Amino acid sequence: MDDRELIGRVLAGDARAEREMYDAHVDRVFRLVYRMVGDTHRAQDYTQEAFIKAFRRLADFRGDSALSTWLCAIAISVTLNGLRTLKRAREREVGLDEAPALGARTVEADPDLKVRMRRAIDGLPDGYRTVFVMHDVEGYTHEEIATALGVQPGTSKAQLFRARARLREALADFARE
Amino acid sequence: MDDDPLDEPLRAAAREYHRPPDPPREAMWREIERARRLDRARRPAPRRWLPWAAGAAAAAVLALGIGIGRLSQRGPQPPVAVGADWSASPRVNQTAYRLATVEHLGQSEAFLTLFRTSVRSGSQERLASATARELLATNRLLLDSPAAQDRRMRLLLQDLELVLAEIAQLTPDAPSGDRELIREGIERGGVLTRLRTVVPPGATPTRGAL
Repeated sequence: MDDRELIGRVLAGDARAEREMYDAHVDRVFRLVYRMVGDTHRAQDYTQEAFIKAFRRLADFRGDSALSTWLCAIAISVTLNGLRTLKRAREREVGLDEAPALGARTVEADPDLKVRMRRAIDGLPDGYRTVFVMHDVEGYTHEEIATALGVQPGTSKAQLFRARARLREALADFARE
Repeated sequence: MDDDPLDEPLRAAAREYHRPPDPPREAMWREIERARRLDRARRPAPRRWLPWAAGAAAAAVLALGIGIGRLSQRGPQPPVAVGADWSASPRVNQTAYRLATVEHLGQSEAFLTLFRTSVRSGSQERLASATARELLATNRLLLDSPAAQDRRMRLLLQDLELVLAEIAQLTPDAPSGDRELIREGIERGGVLTRLRTVVPPGATPTRGAL
């Protein structure tokens, strides 16, 4: 069944069609959200919220992109909003409790590459990180990323280039090995 | 710029970034389905809604009329004339709304008690959704009335609306898990306890069977 027929059934109030749409896309949406948040419970919450919003807004879907790309756009929007809220909450907590520790460099044993990579990706600005995760980790094309994020493909390419440059810089010692 | 990838060791490490587990598909679907049921219950459906909304409105007006009538018989003041502007008397107005609200909450309390019992015993009551729709209509009228000006009452009516909307959406072939979820919602929100706090003893109505 193609997207258009499935969408028509959902809009007509067919609850089974909603489940079919969910089954067809949930794995991809959850994977992307999890890659962004790294926490099962939050990924679950954001994925649920993305699908609920998608069903509510389905009448607005014009078919300019694939349904999967449209769903990813909603999921990314929900996830980034959730992460921003979380970040603000953490900053408030840090502001009250841990302000003196900010900026202090921690001295620790050299972690392995995976850990260093995770920290380096976590440290990227949201825009760079989103494009890097979508392209280099999850395999989305620049066209899909551009549609999902509402930017030009060239912007997506530029952000990926900068993200990679930052990661190379952060992991220069591994790159030289 | 795509032809400027990271070196393979870095690419391999990146692929390990937040490696996802299997998605909790059914758990997520239950929450989505629950939200969608509420969406459908809240969506206006004029053709089906209007007849029993009109009936509920008539019932609410009747309850108000009874309240006003009772009040007008007390004390030395002359009886309220038919067609008089009763809304000009805030005290009478408030009392009538209070009476109508207590009546509605009493019926809802009896209904939810019976619904909870039927879920626990595993019996399938076909009339539950019909009664829930009827109560839902009255509930919405009360939410839009001065009865909802009291914050505590408004919150109770809002919580009651969610529960009634969920039951109204139940179909005879709905899985038992759906009923159980609604029952859990009633317990979690303390809806029955709050209803019993508001409804005075002895005000339990005769109408309330599933």
